[in-house]
Amino acid sequence: MTADALVRTGQPVLVETFAEWREAARELLVHGIPPDQVTWGAPHMGDLLAGGDLFTGAPAAAGAPHNPSIPPTEPLHPAPHIPRSLMEMLQSAACCRVPDRWAFLYRVIWRWQQGEHDVQSPADEDGARLHAMVKAVHREEHDMHAYIRFRERPEEAGPPRFVAWYEPRHDVLPQVAEHFISRMGKVSWMIATPEASVLWDGQTLHNTGPLVRDAADLEDTGEALWLTYYRSVFNPARLNTNVMHQHIQSDRWKNLPEAKIVPHMVSEAALGARKVGQYEAVGQRKGTTIPIAPEDAQPERQQPSKLDECRRCELWQFATQAVGGEGPRRAKIMFVGEQPGDQEDLAGQPFVGPAGKLLDRVCEAAGVDRDTIYVTNAVKHFKWEPRGKRRLHKTPVQREIEACHYWLDKELASVKPTVIVALGATALKSVLRTANVTLKNSLGKPLRHEGHWVVTTYHPSYVLRVPGEEAKREAFNTMVEGLKLAHELLERPVDVPDA
Amino acid sequence: MELKDKLEILADAAKYDASCASSGAPRRDSVDKDGLGATNGMGICHSYTPDGRCVSLLKILLTNFCVYDCQYCVNRRTSNVPRARFSVDEVVKLTRDFYLRNYIDGLFLSSGIIQSSDYTMEQLVEVARRLREEHQFRGYIHLKTIPDADPRLIELAGRYADRLSVNIELPTQDSVTKLAPEKNVHTIKLAMGSIRTKLDEKDDHPKAPTFAPAGQSTQMIVGADASDDQTILNTAQTLYGSYKLKRVYYSAFSPIPQSPSSVPSAPPPLLREHRLYQADFLLRGYGFTAKELMPQAGNLALDIDPKLGWALANRDHFPLDLNRADESMIARVPGIGLRTAKRLIDLRRLRRIRWEDLSRLRCSLKKLAPFVITADYRPAQGAASTDLLRRNLADAPQQMNLWPELQAA
Repeated sequence: MTADALVRTGQPVLVETFAEWREAARELLVHGIPPDQVTWGAPHMGDLLAGGDLFTGAPAAAGAPHNPSIPPTEPLHPAPHIPRSLMEMLQSAACCRVPDRWAFLYRVIWRWQQGEHDVQSPADEDGARLHAMVKAVHREEHDMHAYIRFRERPEEAGPPRFVAWYEPRHDVLPQVAEHFISRMGKVSWMIATPEASVLWDGQTLHNTGPLVRDAADLEDTGEALWLTYYRSVFNPARLNTNVMHQHIQSDRWKNLPEAKIVPHMVSEAALGARKVGQYEAVGQRKGTTIPIAPEDAQPERQQPSKLDECRRCELWQFATQAVGGEGPRRAKIMFVGEQPGDQEDLAGQPFVGPAGKLLDRVCEAAGVDRDTIYVTNAVKHFKWEPRGKRRLHKTPVQREIEACHYWLDKELASVKPTVIVALGATALKSVLRTANVTLKNSLGKPLRHEGHWVVTTYHPSYVLRVPGEEAKREAFNTMVEGLKLAHELLERPVDVPDA
Repeated sequence: MELKDKLEILADAAKYDASCASSGAPRRDSVDKDGLGATNGMGICHSYTPDGRCVSLLKILLTNFCVYDCQYCVNRRTSNVPRARFSVDEVVKLTRDFYLRNYIDGLFLSSGIIQSSDYTMEQLVEVARRLREEHQFRGYIHLKTIPDADPRLIELAGRYADRLSVNIELPTQDSVTKLAPEKNVHTIKLAMGSIRTKLDEKDDHPKAPTFAPAGQSTQMIVGADASDDQTILNTAQTLYGSYKLKRVYYSAFSPIPQSPSSVPSAPPPLLREHRLYQADFLLRGYGFTAKELMPQAGNLALDIDPKLGWALANRDHFPLDLNRADESMIARVPGIGLRTAKRLIDLRRLRRIRWEDLSRLRCSLKKLAPFVITADYRPAQGAASTDLLRRNLADAPQQMNLWPELQAA
């Protein structure tokens, strides 16, 4: 007989599993029966106490065997569409051991059907209860995952090799069993609870009904090691029992093997072990110092370069390392960029990131071999500001550029390039030692400066960043032209005035 | 020496490592497979010790013999502590046995430096290799990386471990030079950088072999040197940005037996560590910057949490109309967290937010009252002085309360 017929004849709707409830609730909803007209009950309460099977019991259509037959009526409404998120909440809440769970779930789904969608919000009164029930069930699943303790049985006793006893507050054994199946692989185990037990033989899960507790009586040498570990990782200097009790509620402790040594640990800590974070048991053993000379303990490291030790400005603190220039000792062209970026900072080499890749393409388009060019930056440490968990490039200020002149001068003096290509405004200002120049006015106009030709062009990052395909292409071509110009200038002596 | 004795010494030696998380690993299971172990990304705390910290991993040192002389460390070479060394097999056996009994979610393995950085790292990697390859262990493995080790060994470690960590040890380079003479911030940063580079490569080429899927973390000792919280948070922010760390752990310095005179003889208040974890959480989850939380040099207030501290210092943002503000700003209201902010936005699609909703959402009403406007509520404290508000909202003096869920992320 259908759920709706039961209600019409004044009988309770008997359900035991979520699937049965869902079937019945659907039936009631399409017939438009409001929650206050339905009485819900559980059919197998008696069987259950006598050792019935809680989880695989045949889920007969709701109440079918218990009630006489009544002709069905036509549905009034179409089947409701319940969003999956709500359905999942209902399914979890159904595991919560409260006497009115089926009636409550029906009220929730009825209200949803009536268009009261805030029933799913924790700000609604029913919604708050629904959330609380789901939370209680999830917490119980979590606790059972965490606080079950398996004891090992001797090999010769046969399966199950591991046995645990647990007293769950809610009906979570089926889903918890899944967790341990995935965890233990082909090892056999059994979990006994007051209501039911499950046995995993390595391949199949068996439901065995309530079982007398025997797990506690097993000898298990592994447990002694666990207690040793538990005692040793505790730092008496940080004694703070409140937090421990907040996390493991009092009724859980009785089945945890470590519970019996906790009081002793606490009193020992309170009696003085607190002063040093070292346990008495360890402290009383004979200690040893390691006789080794400090020089011999020093790991062999590459000596950090002088550049790496630079403290001329504050930027070093936030960078991984200083990034010097790279290229042939006597290169005729020197690229000066702004500063290393995120990737350069990690790699310790200039222009290895996206901007470096673009620079390769520029060289290729201009017909210049990049390997003949010395590449460096005006500022040697990466300057950035945090954006979430990323580093966002930040333009160095004049003070930082000036502090870094020291290194750029050294590079110029040693490489002695004929042409310096300044990539972008920062590089230009750094090379010309003045803030009074603009990129725009210098593009395509080579300058003579302290015995070098200086050619100005864009920084490759500008080409990557500028919006619009057309603008990108233009900027790219400007860079290619700049590099071609630099190449031509190699043939023009810098100290001869223009004709 | 018996296994039990070694465990006693080498677990004791590892208890100063604050890291305990077993989260972030990819899903794995052992259904129909040889071996054992599963991870679902969440991580489980299997017990709590009376110091309020959780036990989720078998956290041990491979050995506490160490040629280094780090002043804050109980295992420094000049320290007169009992020494022990596990064999690789012993660690493997302990891990499997504890795992089968459901005591732990996996292994956290660190070590004193013996012989050389490479030799030590090789031993750590060998434990992980044997667990993974010979025993098909699919639980969580966290390896402490020795910064000076060969990059090839670090790469190998990342193949077997879910998480790698390199400890920054102390907030400034000067302190490291002083208190950990054999360590070097430069090599520590380079090691972190090499791990990040490998993680990036894996992101770019998903078919590459796995590399530390749960990312990398680090630990900073608080209170062993004179660095203030502003320095500490700036260092943390630098590390998060530069090396994409999952976590920075803060470990309040514990006085150690026969402590050298270079480190303090008393621990910093544990509450300071707790405030740093709260501030760190605001950096990672809420989009705060270190500069916002600590505009001036000094330490975080102990009597109020850092978010309330920020709100009191920035009262021009408040009171905030919850029916109009965007989610990230709502999450900045004291007493409202990320999840509640999201729920309020969801609710706002259905109707206007009222005072009663905040109570049902279990917000801390006392804390948020001066800072919010709802459809039916407007704070009366608008004109109250910041000092007065602070006195009303400060925690009553009490024993500290570590939030282990912050440690578990």
